[in-house]
Amino acid sequence: MTMIEQDGDEAVQQVFNVPLIIRGEVIEDYSVDYGGRQQGSQFRSANPVDYIDRIVMTRPSAMADLYSLSIDEIADYLVRLGERLEFSKNAYMQEAFELSKRTSGLSESILRSIYEGMPGTFVKESLLNSIDHTVGIDYLDGWVSLREGVQVRAFGARTVHVIAGNAPMVGVATVVRNALTRSDAIVKAPSNDPLTTTAVARTMIDMDPDHPVTKHLSVAYWKGGDASFEAELYRPKNIEKIVAWGGFASIKHISGYLQPGIDLITLDPKQSGTIIGEEAFADEQTMNSVAAKAALDVGGFNQEGCLNARVIYIVSGTDEAGLERARRFGQALFDAIQALPEEISTPHHSFDPDLKQEIDGLRFVAEDYTVIGGKGSEGAVIVSHDSEQVDFARQLACRVANLVPIDSVETAIQSVNAYTQTIGIYPESLKTEIRDRLAYQGGQRLVSLGGAINPPGDGPQDGLEPLRRMCKWIVDDTQ
Amino acid sequence: MNDYLTRLAAAPKSFIEERYNAGFEVHGSELEEYYLVTAKRKFEKLRSGVSTLDRLAQEQGVDSIENLDDLVKVLFPHTVYKSYPLSYLEKNKFKQLTRWLNGLTTEDLSAVDASACKSIDEWIDLLEKETNLTLCHSSGTTGKLSFLPRNRTEGHVPNVLMRNLIRDWFGDNTGPDMIENPLPLVFPSYKRGYQTMIRTSQSQAELFGITDENSLYLYDDILSADIASLGGRIRAAEARGELGELEISPELLAKKDIFVEREMVKQQRTREFYAEAVERFGGKPIYMCTVWTMLYEAMSEAKAQGYTGIFGADSVLVTGGGNKGVELPQGWKEMIYEVTGFERAYELYGMSEMTTPFVQCEHGHYHIPPSIIPFVLDPISGEALPRTGEQVGRFAFLDTMPETYWGGFISGDEVTLSGYDNVCACGRQGAYVKGEIRRYSEKEGGDDKINCSGAPEAHDKALEFLINASA
Repeated sequence: MTMIEQDGDEAVQQVFNVPLIIRGEVIEDYSVDYGGRQQGSQFRSANPVDYIDRIVMTRPSAMADLYSLSIDEIADYLVRLGERLEFSKNAYMQEAFELSKRTSGLSESILRSIYEGMPGTFVKESLLNSIDHTVGIDYLDGWVSLREGVQVRAFGARTVHVIAGNAPMVGVATVVRNALTRSDAIVKAPSNDPLTTTAVARTMIDMDPDHPVTKHLSVAYWKGGDASFEAELYRPKNIEKIVAWGGFASIKHISGYLQPGIDLITLDPKQSGTIIGEEAFADEQTMNSVAAKAALDVGGFNQEGCLNARVIYIVSGTDEAGLERARRFGQALFDAIQALPEEISTPHHSFDPDLKQEIDGLRFVAEDYTVIGGKGSEGAVIVSHDSEQVDFARQLACRVANLVPIDSVETAIQSVNAYTQTIGIYPESLKTEIRDRLAYQGGQRLVSLGGAINPPGDGPQDGLEPLRRMCKWIVDDTQ
Repeated sequence: MNDYLTRLAAAPKSFIEERYNAGFEVHGSELEEYYLVTAKRKFEKLRSGVSTLDRLAQEQGVDSIENLDDLVKVLFPHTVYKSYPLSYLEKNKFKQLTRWLNGLTTEDLSAVDASACKSIDEWIDLLEKETNLTLCHSSGTTGKLSFLPRNRTEGHVPNVLMRNLIRDWFGDNTGPDMIENPLPLVFPSYKRGYQTMIRTSQSQAELFGITDENSLYLYDDILSADIASLGGRIRAAEARGELGELEISPELLAKKDIFVEREMVKQQRTREFYAEAVERFGGKPIYMCTVWTMLYEAMSEAKAQGYTGIFGADSVLVTGGGNKGVELPQGWKEMIYEVTGFERAYELYGMSEMTTPFVQCEHGHYHIPPSIIPFVLDPISGEALPRTGEQVGRFAFLDTMPETYWGGFISGDEVTLSGYDNVCACGRQGAYVKGEIRRYSEKEGGDDKINCSGAPEAHDKALEFLINASA
């Protein structure tokens, strides 16, 4: 462990060291202090400007070593890596977990279950499926003939990944995607999860320091928007693609560096919602089971993800009897959120104080909203009394949902826009009935209620296929 | 309690009649008893008339204020004065908005029929015509206006206080008495409007006897509340990338021509404004209220044109608002003093919801007069931090001046509070806020934050949008 204990007040401040990883090499330069997003989450790392010449790979031909490997062999490498990520035996992952406990919005119990579950995602068959269903292994392993004289092959690219830190799996998935597309990654570690990707990279170096997959991964931390570094990095001679997750501000910022020769793949900020048909009220038992499914969509991973439900439209009717139905459902939903197991969901350890003030403000419009819960950090269900979502719908987090009663499913469909990602739907028949219309509106993933937090590993993400787009599609044209 | 505090506790509003500096001659350790007595009385007086306060007290199980922690439980969250659904404004639901407001004031609004109102301006005018309310609204940078239900008498209080502090802050009777002897007013904003600062300036002009002859405004007309609201909504929608989905009522769109015209000549008007200020009041002491960043911008331009020492050294500059996130170059303050000719400034920390601003002393501390009962709260638990040493937390307070609305309020600012067991080096006693103040939303927003840097920009955006909408 590279924790340094400093003198502090009652709580001992721990400062973590985050090494810089450059293509198989661990650089232990901790000359710059960085602050994490939450108290007690400070860490030290190098100033990447000092290493810019080594971080970028200006010689594209250096990608060739990846082509000595088949996709099957790369998958074998990943399976071996998965075995070494076993939480109880991997000190790097344990250290990443320690820092995540301080920087993440997820509670310790949820984080522990995520870290312990990581090796389980490195199953050869699912790794091969994930790349075959999105890119096609044939296209990666060789030239595929489209017709006589025309052949196509998918090549990897030199790519910067600006990843999200709200769940540790994002960094791990980035390493996997980079390997399976035979790309070269420079990962910008997020301040709310600075160590997980580094820990995976160190495990790779210990396992096989000279392996081409190990040698095509770099992980660095810099403060997003640091122009002294970014202006040097984001140049067509250094990189071909940027995969950017995250907030509007960060993507807007990156787009300032775009020029011909750089392809930006945005995984924009998104929000997700729910549409529940009147069938939920068939009987008491059905209502409770629907509420339990919705609770999973809302509360899973503490509502930290873009795929978590926030605004829930429910066809309860909007007359007095309808509102009463909605309130009953709201209570059942709240109870079900409270009952979620602690590996999946807990009261948020740092409940957003601004959101708390918004919820407290609703007390003064009791005619317009019913608030269930929301006293402390337990979460809340806000039931609107008309078919409008709360004004702070975008701020909903920390297990707070807004239940909006509607007379017809039309209102819910109209609320979907280009910023909607996942829509959980009940019942199944409704999903089939409205799915095309939801897609026209902008909805990107339509899922059975209760399934929002389990995206398929081998499907599209946010209405696009990032793996396909991470490749360069090269044509051999014989005329 | 000494005689002074006993008088204030019996009649909080008598603070405006007392010697201003007496408020800073009470040691911090003496304040607690006064705070408790005053808060207890204030709560008893207002509870029955302000229904939302009554409801909050019931929910919190507070029947009377027995200690200051009870008071903290019944402070309003800062969202209270904008807790109405935005759809009330978007869909002209002014009847509902009136009913909502009725819960926040002891004024009886039940006879007001606002169902025919088609704009916020119209609604505020109606309330002013039919009741005692002179409603103030916030600048609306967050996309929603806060409405503070002050009545006519309460609107008067901040201005008498302003007179007192201008006259006495640097020592009793060392500054001009603006009622006896008003300085010409140079105000780089609107002459009329309902936004708190503009409304305050408007009633100040009346109190100080400021006339057309000794005043100059950037705009001689009114700042529309509807436009201020639209500006905020546009800003929020734009930051989210949803501008195209914004709904604007035809009434508001119809007002656009005036604003579009205003936008076209804005830069030119600002230049004319300062040129006119120099021509009419150059060499004389003036009274100016503005924020540093705006003044810096104007004076940079004046300097480039060769101006220096424009106004009299005895001018009164009232300012504040921090730097609004704008980085000013080193020596910016000296430059402003050099070009304006001002020798000093009254630098304030305040907010719409607070009738008495705090003035900054030469040691960078904002001193809190006894008309405000201050707290710092733990930002997570919301509980009051102890009144000892230096405490950092969310600023909250009970304003003892208002008589028709509850002055208990939890702000969105992070401050450092001190002065209960120590005395500032400037010699003023009692509680004070240390220099650095920041919004919690700025601190916690991270990459996803929607950055609000001030009202003027929101206003510009509104006009820009209207221009495009009309094209």
